[in-house]
Amino acid sequence: MLLIPILFGVTVIVFGIMVLTPGDPAILMLGENAPQEDLAALRERLGLNEPVYVQYGIWLARIVQLDFGRSIRSGRPVTDEITARLPATVELALLATLLAIAVGVPLGVISATRPNSAVDHTATVVAFTGLAMPVFWQGLIMILLFALVLGWFPPSGRLGGWEYYVLPTITLGTSAIAAITRMTRATMLETLSQDYVRTARSKGVRERSITYRHALRNAMIPIVTVIGLQFGALLSGAVITETIFSWPGIGRLAIDAIRSKDFPVVQGVVMVFALMYAFVNLVTDVLYAYLDPRLKTRYS
Amino acid sequence: MRKVLLMLAAVAFAFGGAHAFTLTVSQGSDIVTLDPHRTNDQPSARVMRQVYDTLVIQTEELELLPGLAVSWTQLDEATWDFELRSGVTFHNGDPLTASDVAFSLNRLLDPATGAPGRFVVSRITSVEAVDDMTVRIITDGPFAPLLAHLSHNVASILSESVVTAAGEDYGTRVVVGTGPFEFVSWEVQSQLVLDRFEAYWGETALAERVVFRPITEGTVRAIELEAGAIDIAYDLEPRDALRMENRPDVVMAPVTLLSMQYVGFNAQKEPFDDVRVRQAINHAVDAETIVDVIYEGFGFPSAGPIGPNVFGYNDDLEPYAFDPERARQLLDEAGLGGGFSTVIWTNDNPLRIQIAEIMQAQLAEVGVSADIQVLEWSTYLDDTAAGLHDMFILGWGTVTADADYGLYALFHSSQFGSPGNRSFWGDDRVDELLDAGRRTIDPDERLAIYAEAQELIVEGAPWLFLNTSIANNATRDTISGFVPHPTGSHFLRGVSKN
Repeated sequence: MLLIPILFGVTVIVFGIMVLTPGDPAILMLGENAPQEDLAALRERLGLNEPVYVQYGIWLARIVQLDFGRSIRSGRPVTDEITARLPATVELALLATLLAIAVGVPLGVISATRPNSAVDHTATVVAFTGLAMPVFWQGLIMILLFALVLGWFPPSGRLGGWEYYVLPTITLGTSAIAAITRMTRATMLETLSQDYVRTARSKGVRERSITYRHALRNAMIPIVTVIGLQFGALLSGAVITETIFSWPGIGRLAIDAIRSKDFPVVQGVVMVFALMYAFVNLVTDVLYAYLDPRLKTRYS
Repeated sequence: MRKVLLMLAAVAFAFGGAHAFTLTVSQGSDIVTLDPHRTNDQPSARVMRQVYDTLVIQTEELELLPGLAVSWTQLDEATWDFELRSGVTFHNGDPLTASDVAFSLNRLLDPATGAPGRFVVSRITSVEAVDDMTVRIITDGPFAPLLAHLSHNVASILSESVVTAAGEDYGTRVVVGTGPFEFVSWEVQSQLVLDRFEAYWGETALAERVVFRPITEGTVRAIELEAGAIDIAYDLEPRDALRMENRPDVVMAPVTLLSMQYVGFNAQKEPFDDVRVRQAINHAVDAETIVDVIYEGFGFPSAGPIGPNVFGYNDDLEPYAFDPERARQLLDEAGLGGGFSTVIWTNDNPLRIQIAEIMQAQLAEVGVSADIQVLEWSTYLDDTAAGLHDMFILGWGTVTADADYGLYALFHSSQFGSPGNRSFWGDDRVDELLDAGRRTIDPDERLAIYAEAQELIVEGAPWLFLNTSIANNATRDTISGFVPHPTGSHFLRGVSKN
């Protein structure tokens, strides 16, 4: 229920920022060669001559009827602009998150169960390298190595086949792997020193069972939080990966729209981002309840 | 008629030994729309070039040839009749008529359309269909470069019935032209597919299909070409072009562009109101260094305000020599022997910022201390149009390849500010010449007029004349027949693949 005021607030803020930052969409569209009368005509057509609050009001009145309007740049319906790109973004964010979980959680667990061992140090180095590596640089190196030198995968694009997904998924997932590994290691270390773990050990429960059934499950809540945050960030913040791999995602749409001051598209994209974040938060909350039955009993 | 053409095409195909192939082309951005009246951006224009025709075609050598118009006659100084080619059909099978032409140009001209490319035809006051195959165009006065303007992408001819029926969806969902390729599909930011139009009025295209892929990252575009995933890459970055030159399986196809980079002075503001100061700066900055350092040698210093590809270019112009001594002397004569402080404006284009930095260092050598100020694009355009600057770096593309377009808006004193003359410099004789260039039809007379105008402009130095750039296109060695067009909108009809 909080969602509607949140969405409203977000659109007001974004609209405010768009209005306060310099730049006239008409000049951006027509360029430096444009005569004044052409600029005036375009501003009229785009409704830019109306006062700011009227422009916002007109937009809001439409949104209430689920009409997102049309891009002022291309004339395409905003819903088309977004639905054309959303699947690419969601796919990539999901794959990258799955990869990050598949690599990050085991790596974190192994590090925590053998603290200060060679494995732990290696995992730490890998994690920090992943965090420190600029996405831009990593993407280009991966393309050079795996597409050009080895020829295993296509350099860029999303033109069908699974092979197009490999390099962007790894590139996008790397920093999430690092974050999840570090968080898993830290919480696991803490959990493994709890009394119930010592009790289990003294009862003679097998170490493997202790790690995965007792400790990991209890350590999962902060890890799930990090995964949720990472997933949200990957959904909305994959602009660089999308650019390098010519991936038709929504991050680039947002940047292009902001640059050309394509207000209806910016608002549409921001609402989608807000909805996605809200959805990810909801899923994370549901997972908490599943992981920690005490939460379920408290609220039911 | 269409059947016969199809049969002929089939026969030509069977005996010509041609094989079906797809041509994959990549450029830096996706299209915005394929409605020529909604946009005037290069990536869209490059696709529209394949889908639409214009009344007049401008070849790669910038020759003006009959396109959808087979001939034209000038009835008086401002009235032209264009005779349309017969047997031309749109991709949906409808025949081309004069009313489609009148509709297209009138839609472009209508201020309510808000077409970004309207300026190309703004001298036209009326377009009407005289009969089914004749179109009459009237300009607001004598306008010699009309034909070059009608060859511009935005003056493409659309189908009246299709555009009217499609409404807002025209250009993104519905696209119909008379060009050698027809629109098939567009996956945003991914790929745009065109198929050969078998009933094309001219020679049909060699490629059965053309796929345009937007690849934003220049280096990735180069790697795609190296990996053989694309056949032609447009606009490689200088660094990648240098690497590509050494590859045996890649062929470079550079082209000198119609655009020009310059530094404008504010000729109405001290100390730039003194011609000696403007000339001094021309002597103090070495454009050669700028080309070598920033463009990795892909380009050349300009001698004057328009490039060698533009009709009317004066190749006798002497460029300002890099001569700091002479610069100091001129400043001394202007009473600025002790130097002065100024500001160089640029927008956030990284190459322009680098140009400003090189200028800053070179100007310091002659005692001019310059600050660099980076402005957001539309503020930049607004404030330079208002004359708030000392010096600014900007480019100009002479999109029609005719001197009128490259000089009138930039140097005529009636064009101060946003129309183009951001250096606020004017000269009575230059005004006279530029007006005469518009009136005069005879090409030789026009050449003489523009030659004189360029000499006066170079002498008056409202600009620091920087450089003309070269666009680095490249193809796989399996591709032949790709001839880059100086406007950047390359024709792909004659491109073949082995």
